[in-house]
Formats: sequence, structure tokens, C-alpha cells
Amino acid sequence: MGYVFDLGSVLNGKYLDWFLIGLATTLALTVAAWCLAMAMGIILTLVRMIPFPPLGWFVALYVEYHRNVPLLVQIFVWYFGVPSLLPRPARQWINAHHGEFLLAAIALGLAAAAYVAEDIRSGIRSIPKAQYESARSIGFGYLGAMGYVVLPQALRIAVPPLINQTLLLFKNTSLAMAIGVGELTYRTREVESYTFKTFEAFAVATAIYLAISFGIMALGSWSGHRLKLETR
Amino acid sequence: MKLFSVLGLTAVLAAGLCGTAQADQLADIKARGKLICGTLGTAEPFSFQHPQTRQIVGYDVDICQKVADALGVSLELKGIAVEARIPELLQGRVDILAANLGYTPERAQQIDFSHSYFVSQQKLLTTKDSGITTLEGLAGKKVTAIKGSSSEQGVRRLIPTAETVTFQDTSSAFLALAQDKVDAFCGSELILVKLAKQSKVPMLVIEKSLFVEPWGLGLRKGETAFKEQVNGVLSKLASSGELDTIFGKWLGEGTAFNIKRDYKVEEIKS
Repeated sequence: MGYVFDLGSVLNGKYLDWFLIGLATTLALTVAAWCLAMAMGIILTLVRMIPFPPLGWFVALYVEYHRNVPLLVQIFVWYFGVPSLLPRPARQWINAHHGEFLLAAIALGLAAAAYVAEDIRSGIRSIPKAQYESARSIGFGYLGAMGYVVLPQALRIAVPPLINQTLLLFKNTSLAMAIGVGELTYRTREVESYTFKTFEAFAVATAIYLAISFGIMALGSWSGHRLKLETR
Repeated sequence: MKLFSVLGLTAVLAAGLCGTAQADQLADIKARGKLICGTLGTAEPFSFQHPQTRQIVGYDVDICQKVADALGVSLELKGIAVEARIPELLQGRVDILAANLGYTPERAQQIDFSHSYFVSQQKLLTTKDSGITTLEGLAGKKVTAIKGSSSEQGVRRLIPTAETVTFQDTSSAFLALAQDKVDAFCGSELILVKLAKQSKVPMLVIEKSLFVEPWGLGLRKGETAFKEQVNGVLSKLASSGELDTIFGKWLGEGTAFNIKRDYKVEEIKS
């Protein structure tokens, strides 16, 4: 029995729709988690810079947890664990409002935030201390010196690693299938279980993932040129 | 460019994995001296780990054992996931499936089914708090099932307005129901009754079946000699009363299920 490779069998009517719905969900999940990761990453970085040691310890603990616990476990903690600690009305609200998507976005976003915070911190540490001191000496407060002088320069340097994190975040969204989020991998499995065309289904998914990953990488190299960062 | 090479590679892999041509499976099995049977290993009472011996036992396992005995070969069990059943068979990693495999026309296009050796009532489990007591009450609700199961396809077909959310295994799907993440769980009545008994959250199985589904042993297409042999074994088990003995051992009086065999062993007609 030879195997007939037939892409058409998984790229028609219903199945094509499933791929497209899956792709839309994957992109929505990436965007939602990315926004959370950026916001939380910047907050963590700023908190870490406040000269009060316990805050620094808290951020260090946060980063270590998210870097050392498998992401799938973190997703399960958010989906099956956290809601059971909430009061019943809150649980019902979550369940009624696409809880699986919401909680997956939170889990993915918070995990990515740990990496984002580290990337921004590296960016800040690459800015000479004199920049901050000069800003303070001409009258900026802590927030002003950080917000107007140090962070804009630091973020520019942090752009390439942040784009890399975006790529990782995008790929990690496939783990959300484990809690029933209908993203691209989940839909691919669905197409596969209906058509039994395993290779075709995954070939389509692979092609879609690759195309978007290349897009993100192209954005990375373009931004490197735009920001006139020295390439090493 | 890269994309094409990836697609090409996938095609080559596909051809390689599935290109193991088999002349006659029955002769191959006899020459090899063992029958490789794909089973779930996670579905009491059909195939599950015995608490003491740690062996995989159950109704499906016994049926496979009888087939192996009739061929005069030993039995080797291979545990497989629900959604991997048919691919594993098609790729020749197992000879036969005894894995809660319900008949569907889509599956019958891919593989052959033996005569029915079990018939399952597909029902729905809900929490008492939800207030859902009829199948009609599920319109527009979230219903869970196991990924790649016929229950999943049944929900889509028979409750089109419901939103299906699938999980990899029974425990995740059950947990999602217990935590109100979904409104109902569709599966084989036997599994649901057992879950409802064990559940800390009060649950009920909706009386009316969503659909009735005959189970067959899964075989690769075109293996006529092997299929005839398997069907012969099943018919003989039924006529000699041995099937009732095996059925009683796992599902009859004195078990948690306490049901009687009320179906015939016959060719499955769609």
C-alpha cells in the first residue's frame, strides 16, 4: 500500500475553514499574550530597579518560576488550578467568556513577561550610568530620568531580543491546545482525526507556522536596519 | 524554497513510513508467531491496568487474546492514544485494533471493521447544578468529548448548535466538567456511569442515548483472509457462549456496570 500524498484532501471547504479559524485564534492569542508580556515585562523591570531589596527578590523569584517550570504545567495551573481558588461568580464569569482563551493568554503572557523583563534589563544595563546621573543632575526625578532618558535608549537596544521572544511566544501558543483552545495545532489535529490525512494536515500547519515565523524574523532584521544597531 | 523542501521531506517520510507493502497479513502474523494488538490501556473495563498485577487487562484484551489463540500465536499488546488508533493501524505498527473503536462511515473508508463485538450507548454527563436534564437542553451549550473519538463527531453531527471542546483524555474532560468549564461530557455510558459514581460534584447521566454505536475490531483494508478468520473467531465466541462468559467477567453481575449482553455479533451495516 503506497501512500498517496494529497494536499487537496485537507484544503477544501470545511477543513480549510478549520485551518483559517485556527490561524485566526493563534494570531489573536499571540497578540493578547504579547501585549500582556510587554506591559508586565516593563513593570517588572521598573520594580526591579527600585532600590528596595525585597522588591528585587520578588521579581527574581517571578523570573525564576517562569523560566524553570515547563510552560505546559504553567498553562494547566492557570486553567485547572487558579479558577478553583476564585469565588464561584468569578469562575462562572470566566467559563462564560471563553475561559480557555483568556487563561491561556494570561499563562503565555506572564511566562513571556519574565523573558521580556530580562531583555529590557540587559538593555538598561548597556546604557552608561552617566546618562542616568546626568538626567538626575539637570533636575529629572527617578521616573523622569528613566522614562525620558534611559528607557528610550534601552528599549531600542532590546528590540532584536524582544522580536526573538515574540517568535518564541508565537510558537508556544500551540501548547494552548491542551486546554481546548481552538488554535492552529488544535484544528490541525481535528482535521487529521476527521480525514486521517496525518501528513497533509501537519504539512499545511507547518507551512503556515513557517510563513509567519519568517515574517516575524524579517521584521526583526528590518528593525535592526531601521534602528541602525551595530551588527556584530 | 525552504517551504518546498519541508513539504517534499514530509512526502518522502510519508512514503517511507507507509511503503511497507504486505502481501498477506495472516501469513505474516503466523510467520512472526505473534499478534500485535493496539489497545487503549486507559479505559476500564475494556483495557486498563490491573491494580495488583500491573498488567493491561479487560474485555478488549480478552477478545484479542481469543483471536491470537485461534491463530496459534502469542499476543503482544501495544498501548495507543485515542486519536492515534487509525494512523497506527494504517502505518502497520499494529495488526489489529481492540480499542473502543466505534463504527463511523468516515472510519470505514479508511479501515475495515470486524463484526460488532460490543455495542455502546453514547450518552451525556452533566452536573446537577447545571439543571440540564434532557438532550434538548444542550443546544448552544459547551460539550466536551475526547479528542478524536466518535463521541466528538457524534456531538457535532447530532447537536450542531453546541460548541465542542475536546481534551486528550478522560480525566481532563471530566475535570473541565466538574469545574463548570463545559456543560456536558459525551462518552460511552459505561465510562460516564463510573465517573458519576466517583465524582465529588453531584452529576447525572442524561437518560436518553445520543446515539448507539457498534464497536468492531479495526483491520487494514484488503486483508480478506485475516478478516474472515477474525470474524470466524467472533462468531464462534458468540455461539459457544464464551463471549457471554467474557462479557459477564468485565461487565456483568458483580461488576460496577452490571449490564447484560443485548446485542448480536454481526456485520456492521452503516
